[in-house]
Amino acid sequence: MNVQSDIKGIVRGGQTLKQHRDKIQEDTKATGHYAGLKERALQKEDPILYNKLFSRLRAGVVDARETAKKIAASPIVEQEGELCFTLYNAAGDSILSSTGIMIHVGTMGAAIKYMIENDWEGNPGIADKDIFTNNDPLIGNVHPCDIHTIVPIFHEGELIGWVGGVTHVIDTGAVGPGSMTTGQVQRFGDGYSVTCRKVGANDELFRDWLHESQRSVRTTRYWMLDERTRVAGCHMIRKLIEEVVAEEGIEAYWKFAYEAVEHGREGLQNRIKAMTIPGKYRQVGFVDVPYSHEDVHVPSTFAKVDTIMHTPSEMTIRPDGTWRLDFEGSSRWGWHTYNAHAVSFTSGIWVMMTQTLIPSELINDGAAYGTEFRLPKGTWMNPDDRRVAYAYSWHFLVSSWTALWRGLSRSYFGRGYLEEVNAGNANTSNWLQGGGFNQYDEIHAVNSFECAANGVGASAFADGISNAAAIWNPEGDMGDMEIWELAEPLVYLGRQIKSSSGGAGKYRGGCGFESLRMVWNAKDWTMFFMGNGHISSDWGLMGGYPAASGYRFEAHDTGLKEKIANGDPIPHGGDTDPENPVYDSLINQAGIKRDKQAITTEDMFEDHDLYLNYMRGGPGFGDPLDREPSAVADDVNGGYLIERFAERVYGVILVDGDDGQKVADDAATEAKRADIRKDRLAKAVPTRDWMAKERERILNKDTGVHVQQMYASSFQLGPKWAQEFRDFWDLPEDWDLKEEDLPIPSYGREYSMDLSELPDVKTVKFVEE
Amino acid sequence: MPLDKKNDRSVQVLGIDAGGTMTDTFFVDADGDFVVGKAQSTPDNEALGLIESSREGLEHWGMNLEEALADIQTGVYSGTALLNRVVQRKGLKTGLIVNAGMEDFHRMGRAIQAYLGFAYEDRLHLNTHYYDEPLVPRHLTRGVMERVDMFGTVVIPLREEMARTAAQELIAQEVEGIAISLLHSYKNPDHERRVRDIVEDEIKKAGKEIPVFASVDYYPVRKESHRTNTTVLEAFAAEPSRQTLKKISGAFKENGSKFDFRVMATHGGTISWKAKELARTIVSGPIGGVIGAKYLGETLGYNNIACSDIGGTSFDVALITQGELTIQNDPDMARLVLSLPLVGLDSVGAGAGSFIRLDPYTKAIKLGPDSAGYRVGVCWADSGIDTVTISDCHVILGYLNPDNFLGGQVKLDRQRAYDAMKEQIADPLGISVEEAAAGVIELLDSDLRDYMKSLISGKGYSPSSFVCFSYGGAGPVHTYGYTEGMGFEDVIIPAWAAGFSAFGCAAADFEYRYDKSLDINIDEDGSADQKEAEATLINDAWAELSEKVLEEFELNGYSRDQVELQPGFRMQYRGQLNDIEIESPIESANGAEDWDKLVDAFNDKYGRVYAESARSPELGYSVTGAIMRGTVPIPKPNIPKEEEGPAEPPKAAKLGTRKFYRKGKWLDAQLYQMETLTPGNRITGPAIIESDATTFVVPEGFETWLDGHRLFHLKEV
Repeated sequence: MNVQSDIKGIVRGGQTLKQHRDKIQEDTKATGHYAGLKERALQKEDPILYNKLFSRLRAGVVDARETAKKIAASPIVEQEGELCFTLYNAAGDSILSSTGIMIHVGTMGAAIKYMIENDWEGNPGIADKDIFTNNDPLIGNVHPCDIHTIVPIFHEGELIGWVGGVTHVIDTGAVGPGSMTTGQVQRFGDGYSVTCRKVGANDELFRDWLHESQRSVRTTRYWMLDERTRVAGCHMIRKLIEEVVAEEGIEAYWKFAYEAVEHGREGLQNRIKAMTIPGKYRQVGFVDVPYSHEDVHVPSTFAKVDTIMHTPSEMTIRPDGTWRLDFEGSSRWGWHTYNAHAVSFTSGIWVMMTQTLIPSELINDGAAYGTEFRLPKGTWMNPDDRRVAYAYSWHFLVSSWTALWRGLSRSYFGRGYLEEVNAGNANTSNWLQGGGFNQYDEIHAVNSFECAANGVGASAFADGISNAAAIWNPEGDMGDMEIWELAEPLVYLGRQIKSSSGGAGKYRGGCGFESLRMVWNAKDWTMFFMGNGHISSDWGLMGGYPAASGYRFEAHDTGLKEKIANGDPIPHGGDTDPENPVYDSLINQAGIKRDKQAITTEDMFEDHDLYLNYMRGGPGFGDPLDREPSAVADDVNGGYLIERFAERVYGVILVDGDDGQKVADDAATEAKRADIRKDRLAKAVPTRDWMAKERERILNKDTGVHVQQMYASSFQLGPKWAQEFRDFWDLPEDWDLKEEDLPIPSYGREYSMDLSELPDVKTVKFVEE
Repeated sequence: MPLDKKNDRSVQVLGIDAGGTMTDTFFVDADGDFVVGKAQSTPDNEALGLIESSREGLEHWGMNLEEALADIQTGVYSGTALLNRVVQRKGLKTGLIVNAGMEDFHRMGRAIQAYLGFAYEDRLHLNTHYYDEPLVPRHLTRGVMERVDMFGTVVIPLREEMARTAAQELIAQEVEGIAISLLHSYKNPDHERRVRDIVEDEIKKAGKEIPVFASVDYYPVRKESHRTNTTVLEAFAAEPSRQTLKKISGAFKENGSKFDFRVMATHGGTISWKAKELARTIVSGPIGGVIGAKYLGETLGYNNIACSDIGGTSFDVALITQGELTIQNDPDMARLVLSLPLVGLDSVGAGAGSFIRLDPYTKAIKLGPDSAGYRVGVCWADSGIDTVTISDCHVILGYLNPDNFLGGQVKLDRQRAYDAMKEQIADPLGISVEEAAAGVIELLDSDLRDYMKSLISGKGYSPSSFVCFSYGGAGPVHTYGYTEGMGFEDVIIPAWAAGFSAFGCAAADFEYRYDKSLDINIDEDGSADQKEAEATLINDAWAELSEKVLEEFELNGYSRDQVELQPGFRMQYRGQLNDIEIESPIESANGAEDWDKLVDAFNDKYGRVYAESARSPELGYSVTGAIMRGTVPIPKPNIPKEEEGPAEPPKAAKLGTRKFYRKGKWLDAQLYQMETLTPGNRITGPAIIESDATTFVVPEGFETWLDGHRLFHLKEV
């Protein structure tokens, strides 16, 4: 018997939260319009009031973020803006949001919906002035270090909405120090885990929560002030809603809270119609997981394997402006921390859309309702096992999404929106992380966020800008060195634009930058690396080159103490040309680690050891041979391009100018470019011949085990995709590639148990599986 | 009054606003009566325009310059020259010395500089982000090897020979100023000062005179991007201004003045032109207007004011909330992060003189960022300008009277503007000249509106709770455009809009403010002895600062008992990265009880600024700075108060009609003479209200009325 209908719910009008959400879902499904709103009455009858509400509320959440972030002590919140506040209607659908880490518009919404579906209303109860906290990736969070504070908003005793605030904390008490660690391979090592827990009432946090949470992480002071930042921001927004309701009336606010979502859905549809060309767009992303290396220490032998993660995608744009994104063929989740929940995967795509397709003030869950997703269950972005670790889901999120920029950009290009084209996003790494005892002799963890300022992909109109942004936060910033040195026992010996890190092209990708850090005033200190190394995780567009991939440089037992005392030359500035390194000749050779192993686990560092933090560039657009020769000279003069690539990649011959700067020799450049073009033709092979040769390799399985494993995993989860692969390469029907036949472990291949199989748990399904 | 008669009026205060286009002077007499003078700016020698503007203003009182200057007690200068130099990146050739290995950091930004000043939508819209050229190019930047850590401990001793080489190379490149900024120099200044001395030594050896600016001597605060930008500004843009001020001061002395000029500074008070930290005057002109708006608001009871000012070169917006100026400590200006105490104010390089160009490839219309400044546009035959400007559009569309620009001082030629507009913009776009000119105006208006909106909403407010003040020479021409649909509670244009910033300067307090960095840390439950010790530290700092303030006033002829002192401090919870500024509730701090009063004042304000829940006393407290402000009473202008009469404007105010183009059609706009309108008059658009110094445009669909304080109120009908 369903007794709920007899109980008076807390939502305005008397519904329970569950009844309210069900009704909205039902009406949306029946009409194709959010909450069945075929007409938006408030907007139609009083457009001024509607616009005023929007502008006022939006400004309010923006201001709450700007103000609240000053409370924090963590530089990644205060300086990098790694926080976000969002206003939701009673059903947990977002109405509007501040800027910042906007992926959490979706993840906090998912947390609210989890509370709704699992009857938090009945137990533990939802009352005015309650405070809830969540960081659970199993129900939609990106990774455990993004902590959500969620506060319900009541009016005259009835719930009229929610406000959520999120900050990225520096440490969540995972196996290793830092927020996005590598050493664990299951979620039980991911750190402190909180599932929509009621942590406060009457606007006050419970003492048991404070005691437990503050000792569950390494960086307690950051944790405390981050929490206050979130709570204060939520309370500011709640106050604003109370004022707006008092001035404009609850009826207007209530209508607005639903109409705005439908307006957002329609807005996306209109933009798709205006900006794109209907059809199917296919693209793919890859990233390396090089775990067999000796510097990757994990607890389980079955995780000590080199694998490649794979995300093919098919984007279908229909003439009416609706669209569908299908990720069939993606790899299975793995024993590493790079898995993602479906909500974080789709919310991140929404974030990307806000940067290119719908950069308007009308950004809310409407766009999510306007997008159909299919993520096969069991893939890395929709895992089917509750042991899966998520601490650094970004490792592959960023490389999967870069493919979608390319898809959309082909469409923009076709419509002539050259300025909107973006060749893709940088792989936002390296992440400098680690911990131990810091300069204040306290237990500490560090998580540099310099890589919020990577190179941007080129457009079809101009170069991408350098050291500027991150896919997860367009308002990127590298922060001041003096602030990072407050937070990290590491002094800077260099901060420099990273030459040749942006992809070459007619318009080149923006370059990243690099920071050389010397350990200083640390005790029992560890650090590790994180990012792509063996694989270029973006592609470049229409002849543009991908950005350079990553590498690591660390040096121990450097002898720098003596060299500094003696006034000898020491490494400083950038590692400008890694093929002809300067640093290495100035320090003890034996302690240097310079290789493509861009992912490691905690290693010990002592004072005077070195660590290079290299932020990646963005991909390029168009054939480099079409780039203005003078622009190539500027690139070399400005430190954006290593000189030898001017000739090799761009075909530009440089000579010395009067003022010591390089200038292009136009005649010699023209000749060189003609040679390169001739050379290209000479090397070219008819596609048919090339395919025949490749087909032989496929039939013979003539490729590395990690590549075979990647395909085998995709075939297993994506039968349709496997069939297309066979058809494309004209392979026999019985041709197959199975993980069990490979000489590496594929632990977890056949047995899995999802969160939904736990007693009394109702998971919320957001995508087609 | 004939000029040969002795005038018994005693002029007390002179306020000056030397804009990029117009130079305004504002004189206040002993009774608080005021008069405005106007003349074209003369950037090559600002003194000329200033003297001319003063003569023009004083003529209304029948006085000559010498007569007036003899009595003047105080003269306050403000100008936009410094800001414009920065916005347009047209400063001196400056060299920069930083840590070896970090030579790129200045040009790298902070990435925040790629989207500073953007509206919400564009902050998200990645492809719109861009960097401006750095103030100092990479090839004029040198590194010296040294490192100091965050505690001030030396990590790598200074390698002096590198400083010498750096200096020699920069001198050889003929830089006009050298800025030095080393990491953590605010904590341990030794290395940076030593580099400074070496550079000065090398300059001397080279037989040159190049000013040197070490960040620690100017802005010794944490965050190297802010500190370095601000220090570079001293070299790049402030030094030329000092030369200007010296010239002006000299010119007035020649005409009999006895006062020393003060300059409106970013903190909202005024400082001497000899002050070391002259970059503090980067936005002096616009600040003048804000101070004027605050003074007017205080007198008339407006609590929340959005101040907007359009001159020839820039558009400035500031907010006064609950009667208080907002002070930012690490503000941004001209898309640069800075470290100055600044009256919260934002500025874009778009004004009446902004050039209009078409992108040759995309045919996109581009406004500014450079401008014709005082040279108006193509419409002025003698200007030497051949690129069309916003003012040219005004003339083409009938907004401006070509025969009464500056009361007829400058004759404008509509046909010249028309022909240039046709050739440069209209024909390439394939539209009529009127459509092109009106399109450009629409574009500018919508830019300004979005900007203002983003500023107000970005600070968390809605226009409906604000009164918008519009002033500046070109403000009233565009007021309707940038306020339309914004929903302000009221839109006010003072009849003396054109001289409003100068009015503000005249109304500004004579205020010195000194800050001292402190690093006092104490637990929440610190002992009484500890608290007493901390109180003593603060009190000593206040005493030291008071002495500096009092000395400054003594130099200006004020005795100690005339100075009103207000101590303040900056405090945060220990470990935080942002402090807040608190006006001290006590005049001096002695003992543990006084310490508690300071802490209470902090906790109280913290809860108000953020939220109750954000208080974190259990972390303990850090006092990061002591502040002392001193002011002396000075005569201020009176706000006029007249009886309101009939709604119908007097016949004498009507000046006939002029063809006026807007929204695709020509209409006959009724012209009025501003000074002849009387309080209570109501005017419905299309109408244009002209005065010598400004033009107030009331298009169709708008109405204005003049109140008893000679303030126009504009509303949509």
